[in-house]
Amino acid sequence: MTRQRSERTWICLSLAALVAAALAPLVLAPFYVRVGQLVLYSAALGLAWAILGGFAGYWSFGQSAFIGIGAFVGGLAEAELATAPPALQFLVGLAAGSAACAVIAALLAYPVLRLRGIYFAIAMLGVAHVFAELNNNIDIFQGSLGLTFPNIGIAGLDPHVFYYELFLVAAAATLLAAWLIRRSRFGYGLLSIREDEDTARMLGVPTEHYKAAAFVVSAVIAGVLGLIYAHSLGYITTGSVYRDDTNLNAIVYSLLGGMGTLIGPIIGAAILVVLTHVVLGDFLDFHMFATGLLLVLLVLLAPSGLVGLARKLVGRKKVRR
Amino acid sequence: MSDDPILRIEHVTKRFRGLLAINDVSLVVPRGIIASLIGPNGAGKSTLFNLITGYAPVTAGAIFYGERPIAGLATHRIAALGIARAFQIARPFRDLSVADNLRIAGMFGKSGARDVDATARRALDLAGLAELAETPAGAMTVGQLRRLEIARAVATRPELLLADEPCAGLNPTETAELVGILREIRASGVTILLVEHDMAAVMEVSDLVFVLDAGSKIAEGTPAQVTSDPRVVAAYLGTPEPAPAASAGA
Amino acid sequence: MNLILQTLADGLVLGGIYALAAVGFSLIFGVMQVINLSHGVIVVIGAYLALILSRLLAVDPLLTIPLVMAALFVFGYAYQRWLVQLAVERSSLLASMLLTFGVALMLRNILVWIFSPDFKTISPPYAFVHFHLGELTFDLVRVSALATSLVLLCLLAAALHWTRFGRIVRATAQQNLAARLCGVDARHVYALTFGVSAAFAGASGIAIGMVLPFAPPDEAFWTLNAFVVVTLGGVGSPAGALVGGLLLGIVNTLTAQYVGPAFPNATMFLILVLMLLVRPSGLLGNAFSPSR
Repeated sequence: MTRQRSERTWICLSLAALVAAALAPLVLAPFYVRVGQLVLYSAALGLAWAILGGFAGYWSFGQSAFIGIGAFVGGLAEAELATAPPALQFLVGLAAGSAACAVIAALLAYPVLRLRGIYFAIAMLGVAHVFAELNNNIDIFQGSLGLTFPNIGIAGLDPHVFYYELFLVAAAATLLAAWLIRRSRFGYGLLSIREDEDTARMLGVPTEHYKAAAFVVSAVIAGVLGLIYAHSLGYITTGSVYRDDTNLNAIVYSLLGGMGTLIGPIIGAAILVVLTHVVLGDFLDFHMFATGLLLVLLVLLAPSGLVGLARKLVGRKKVRR
Repeated sequence: MSDDPILRIEHVTKRFRGLLAINDVSLVVPRGIIASLIGPNGAGKSTLFNLITGYAPVTAGAIFYGERPIAGLATHRIAALGIARAFQIARPFRDLSVADNLRIAGMFGKSGARDVDATARRALDLAGLAELAETPAGAMTVGQLRRLEIARAVATRPELLLADEPCAGLNPTETAELVGILREIRASGVTILLVEHDMAAVMEVSDLVFVLDAGSKIAEGTPAQVTSDPRVVAAYLGTPEPAPAASAGA
Repeated sequence: MNLILQTLADGLVLGGIYALAAVGFSLIFGVMQVINLSHGVIVVIGAYLALILSRLLAVDPLLTIPLVMAALFVFGYAYQRWLVQLAVERSSLLASMLLTFGVALMLRNILVWIFSPDFKTISPPYAFVHFHLGELTFDLVRVSALATSLVLLCLLAAALHWTRFGRIVRATAQQNLAARLCGVDARHVYALTFGVSAAFAGASGIAIGMVLPFAPPDEAFWTLNAFVVVTLGGVGSPAGALVGGLLLGIVNTLTAQYVGPAFPNATMFLILVLMLLVRPSGLLGNAFSPSR
């Protein structure tokens, strides 16, 4: 009963936030529209990571592999159709990029997901670096030369606003997917894997297939986001999509907001992006130090993230009453 | 007893490198009873459970669940056929509530039509955990965890429940409660295979007892038959341990 | 024929240094299962300390080794005792790994502030001396860096084998609880391990600084490198680090020579992934305890 009511409250709040976010560019200065793009992109990436990392407890350190594959495979497919209308190119790129991510993730999933904990995390970092190096050094990928992307915007609309709205659609779709997964049998199966994989198997959870499915879903979303991101930049090289800071941030968003929750990565992404781009925007020399300090404080002071901290505070208040 | 046993173990052998853990064991568990597997430490009881649930592969021999050979199947497939296992050391999903623990078991476990919430509620009532439904499992006492472990196994809607020392470390009151729960589970039509060291509990609750020693089956029968078997007395009950068994027989 | 021999010889020199740079990382991993992502930055700090000290005291960089090691030992001890240990106790091993990453970012940023992001080198007076052995050419600097690495690795192996500290470290790694029951203060042992690890990382930084130019962002490379070395050789022992380091050094020079100068990194990570999949405990296995 209360569960249903709180779920309804959350749905209403999310829809209101979605409408507010969609209208925000009307009042925001162009700089903040760009920051907003980055917040939405990061939140969606964080959510995609959380489908495997937050729900099933498999922390990938290599999400950038799929961002890169999505962007480069999609971009190369689009280049084949250089004469077609940009919107059609984009759709073809989307199909090619996500298909490549799905196939590669499915091939990697079974061997890599046999590893647990730190070994999985580091193996994924290795995977991301292998793809990055290959992308950069094999000529057909044009990783070091760079790849240009057509402007797919709508005439008359500021491209920054257009990409903002596109990222918003992507982020909302990711949130919806994560929410549907979280409340499904599949989602509960993933949670049980995070809690105790052997016991989950004993209860009949097909752990291998579930992990692989979560891995593929997470990879495909990352790939789609990578392609949109590439379009928003207009021109990318290996270094613009295969980034170690993306690998790290995908985790930090959940860690900062709350591991395993849906709101966690969104809050985490918003705070981190605003902090580094707005608050510290003028202190570039200070970025790395600030991020590092944030990580240290986070691990020591709020190991269960801001959502966990808030729950704890609310819980304490209730007890006092 | 029926001619349609729920579990048949035929000439099963398990070797770990050089060590012979299970040596040519055969046994048949009829439907609807509580059968116990007893024997000194290291007799191979837990290994046998691991083999039945597909947690470890058999070296030789066959295991039939009903008519179906199950040796070599993946653990989750065996669970889907209707075999559940409750661990000796409870392994709850600590961050999840008691209700969610049971709900997950209800969602998976034996395949087929299901009503997850009803199953979870029944398991909750059976284990007497209804008031604790929304408590995180990590915050419960050892006795409560043991009952949750049994309840979660039951929530998978098994036909055969393997319970690994459910009474170990419990005080007499808690043991009595657990024995009551086991009887209720049997009454609902589930067959139970029990590994237990508490002889009083075993003798009280079992319909059939198998005795393992050093990886071999040395006896089987009703509790009375087994306790009077000289080989069992020599191998197991003859050690300074038999006090509880004697008092149970009295 | 000469080319391949020279490539192999170069690989061995590089590999010996890799081994020393990885051994501390391996020790920490073996003893407390913590992945120390700030390992590489400590290596780089060692190089900078040697740079300052050798100029200040006007001595050969190799002579600064005892000072650098002592300073970093103290740093490593304090770091583990008052930061890493807290993270392990309050959250999880994975979270402690993130903490060490945060520390690495902070230290790297500090190094950039102090030393600028530009490359530096430590060149001893004999920087350009080389000699021939048969038809192979060896730089004196490289050979002395290799010799230093091997001597230090042997010293560490001996210390782990024969001293009280070594026995306690091995006991703690084998059975944390059992060691505690025997009256070992596990936290003190953990901190000592971190101290020793940092000291050896610093020493390796000196050897690296003599052979290669270095800059603050190199720290990420040395951390990953340590990971690959440990994955190749096996966790927790100087022997494992040596096997892994030499193999990686040879693979790197061979790839650069025969596949292309851009590919050593790709090969390195490919080997990392394949080793994790095929034999996660490394070629020599784990010296102490099961690694997963």
